[in-house]
Amino acid sequence: MNPKYGSLIPTSRLLDGKPRTILFDSTKCIGCRQCVHACKDWHDHRRTSIYELSGTNWITMEPPVLEGLSSLWARNSCMHCEFPMCAAVCPVEAITKYEEGPVGINQETCIGCEYCIYACPWGVITMSDVTHKAAKCTMCSDRVSGDKSPFCVQACPVGALEFGLEEAISAKASKCAQENGGYLYGDKEAGGTQLLYVLKEKKEDYGVCPVGLERYPRHKIPLGLMLKDLFTLRYGFTGKIRALYFAIIHPQRLIYRYWPWRSVA
Amino acid sequence: MPGGYMGKILRVDLTTGSMKDENLPEEPLLRRFLGGQALATYILLRELPLDAKPFGAESKVVMMTGPITGTGFTPGGTKVTAVYLSPLTEYTLGRGAASGFWPVYLKAAGYDGIIIEGVAPRPTYLFINEGKAELRDASRVWGKGARETEDLLREDVGFKDAKVMCIGPAGENLVRAAMLVNDYNHNAAHSGGAVFGSKKLKAIVVCGTARPRLHDKARLIEAGVRWQSATRFQYTIAKKMTAGKGLDLEAIPNLNFRSSLIADHARGFDQNRVTLRPCFQCPRLCPWDVEIGEGPRKGVVGHFNAGSEWLDTFFNLGIKGNEVLYLAEKINDLGIECSHFSCGVAVAFEAWEKGLLGPEQTEGLRFEWGNVEVVDRLLDMAARREGRWGNLFAEGPMQVAEAIGGDAPQWVVHTKKGTPALHDWRPHLGHMIREIVATGGMKPQGAGGTGMAKPAPDLRYREKWGPLDRDDATGWPWSHILTEQYRQFCGIIGGCWFAQNDNKPDGLKSIVDCLSATTGWNFDLDEALLAGHRSMILQSLFGTQRGWIAEHDWQHIGRRFIEPIPDGKFQGFTIGKWLPEMVYEYHRLSGRHEKTGRPFMDTLITLGLEEFKEWAQLD
Repeated sequence: MNPKYGSLIPTSRLLDGKPRTILFDSTKCIGCRQCVHACKDWHDHRRTSIYELSGTNWITMEPPVLEGLSSLWARNSCMHCEFPMCAAVCPVEAITKYEEGPVGINQETCIGCEYCIYACPWGVITMSDVTHKAAKCTMCSDRVSGDKSPFCVQACPVGALEFGLEEAISAKASKCAQENGGYLYGDKEAGGTQLLYVLKEKKEDYGVCPVGLERYPRHKIPLGLMLKDLFTLRYGFTGKIRALYFAIIHPQRLIYRYWPWRSVA
Repeated sequence: MPGGYMGKILRVDLTTGSMKDENLPEEPLLRRFLGGQALATYILLRELPLDAKPFGAESKVVMMTGPITGTGFTPGGTKVTAVYLSPLTEYTLGRGAASGFWPVYLKAAGYDGIIIEGVAPRPTYLFINEGKAELRDASRVWGKGARETEDLLREDVGFKDAKVMCIGPAGENLVRAAMLVNDYNHNAAHSGGAVFGSKKLKAIVVCGTARPRLHDKARLIEAGVRWQSATRFQYTIAKKMTAGKGLDLEAIPNLNFRSSLIADHARGFDQNRVTLRPCFQCPRLCPWDVEIGEGPRKGVVGHFNAGSEWLDTFFNLGIKGNEVLYLAEKINDLGIECSHFSCGVAVAFEAWEKGLLGPEQTEGLRFEWGNVEVVDRLLDMAARREGRWGNLFAEGPMQVAEAIGGDAPQWVVHTKKGTPALHDWRPHLGHMIREIVATGGMKPQGAGGTGMAKPAPDLRYREKWGPLDRDDATGWPWSHILTEQYRQFCGIIGGCWFAQNDNKPDGLKSIVDCLSATTGWNFDLDEALLAGHRSMILQSLFGTQRGWIAEHDWQHIGRRFIEPIPDGKFQGFTIGKWLPEMVYEYHRLSGRHEKTGRPFMDTLITLGLEEFKEWAQLD
């Protein structure tokens, strides 16, 4: 158990345990979406629509207009929170926070209950209509474990994306913000994330989510969904058994799911 | 099937409305032709009747991507090439190649290429979605410019991600050099649009989610990174605010190529807002949008690519500053290849200046250098063949000159009745050879250039010469043949030769390795150059079949194009003093007879093209 994350977010280590951050500099971004395509290419996703998040499209550039038709662009993808609510609410502990930064959904363990989709304050998790599991950006944990940067980062033609150790990137982001008369986003939201944005205009102009500063932010999993889970075989019998098992051995985690208005340390 | 290919070609008969999926050729043939212009020309050579006319019902357009189109892992993996009988020369291969996104999504829709036959009974567009093709009514967009057509058709098919290749009014009205336009900023220039128009085909809309299988993805990513390092050049916003390629050539055409001086042509450009809009996964950042920031055209938005021919097009007519960008956006939206318009109008303006034309002959329009209003009006007239002059400008600069009479035919800048890409190439031997010989067609695919003076670093294992002297003809033809070979190779595998940097070590080898990693074939540079050479000879054979001979290359050039440069840094220079010897040597060295242009039997055997022996030089 990793004391940093409070109780019972599954954690693990990919490489050396040193946290890494992605820097997105909106002042450099030209909205070309080469990062979006690169993500699909690395993961062999079908060429599904690049304008909405899906099981096969893990980044969008907002606003969802043709390249060239907006003067401001913002990345919309998993923020790899320090205190990931998705990992907290997962009934089968399928979501892991890696010490190097990535938050990953295990596609074998996932039972497709959709709680994480509702719990995510940025709304960046979607249901794959092929596997019926939850899917999102993985921060290319398969590359990070080899000390390489996520594929989107290496694809950016104008250097709007960078990747590196948390300290160095934080310093760089602050410097960028200062030089451009901008500010940081993603450093404090939800208690801190592994994505740092350098923004210049108002947040609303970029369309970024106004997420608060508290860890494990409030969420609303629809009551109807939860009742269906408790009283029907919605995500399969084995899934139910596993969820029950985890509920019995780690009962404290139920707080994240059913009492989200209680502040959790 | 080798990696990179989708495995299917769509054959569309617009007359009957029937559509058929066909297989790509078997592997030995596929490895020889690869794709792009080579495979497309091979198909056209076998299918197009010898007496076909460019706008006749029997005419065909063959469009073909290549194996590296759309992998996502290389720069410039973006190309589709369209070939047809040229409406400009009427006897050589017409060719246009497009980048952007449409070619990538043609493959995502499941196809490597399309063969278009017949004539539709009414304005039609082809819609290909996830392997299913249908012909749809295009009456809603017939008559509209390319930008609006794209937006409306995306709406029509209901897919935001759909990509559109279309014609503007110029194509509809069979302007001889009408373009295919895609993804706002991109064109397959050089008259494919006119052939589409003759078939009442307004557009091809593609949509899909497939991706090609890759033989060795990890190796491809590695080779792609190497290609990217070699490409290294990247456009910046600052570079888009200059007078364009004329600065690199150190010459801008003015007043129908009668002055090459560079002055304040780019005035006001620094007030504009420029956005870079790169092609699919390419880091070179060639395409760009502009919002004009000052003057009477403030607020006008333009969509452009690299190259800047459309800047020189209007500089040539005596126009400078942001009016040029306004007119350039208009000519691209109408879909006229800018050089075709510029060279024709420039002759007419020169005739007016010299008193051969007066208001009685021009229906009151003042054919004056720098008259933006008149040029604006002439664009509309040319696109729609309105009136005597609209029709003449639509036909071409030679026709304009013949109608004017007197000395006017001597003033035309043309190559075999088509027009070179509109830049002042005259100071540079390499560029001029390219424009004159054009691989046996009328339009060259890349090649030539100022960097040809030394062998590409990757070719030093087999090429030893240089640096070549611009005051000495020796060596330039062979150097040009090499660039033709590796530019053609880049194109036929589906790559953009703008992204090919032959000046850097690994610049060529990395591209060959990208092909090998994609397909599973083990190509080396020699096989790559051979494939490029094969593509050149296919283009040449097409012309031979229809009456082209090598002599036409140096005989059918506009006199103005090879006159000594009138002023500026290169005053007095011309390739003219080395014609026809330089052209003869080029043809000899490329394995063809210097006068007839027919390939020798040896050449055909080396290239595996014996099936065309009927067209060989047999003595």
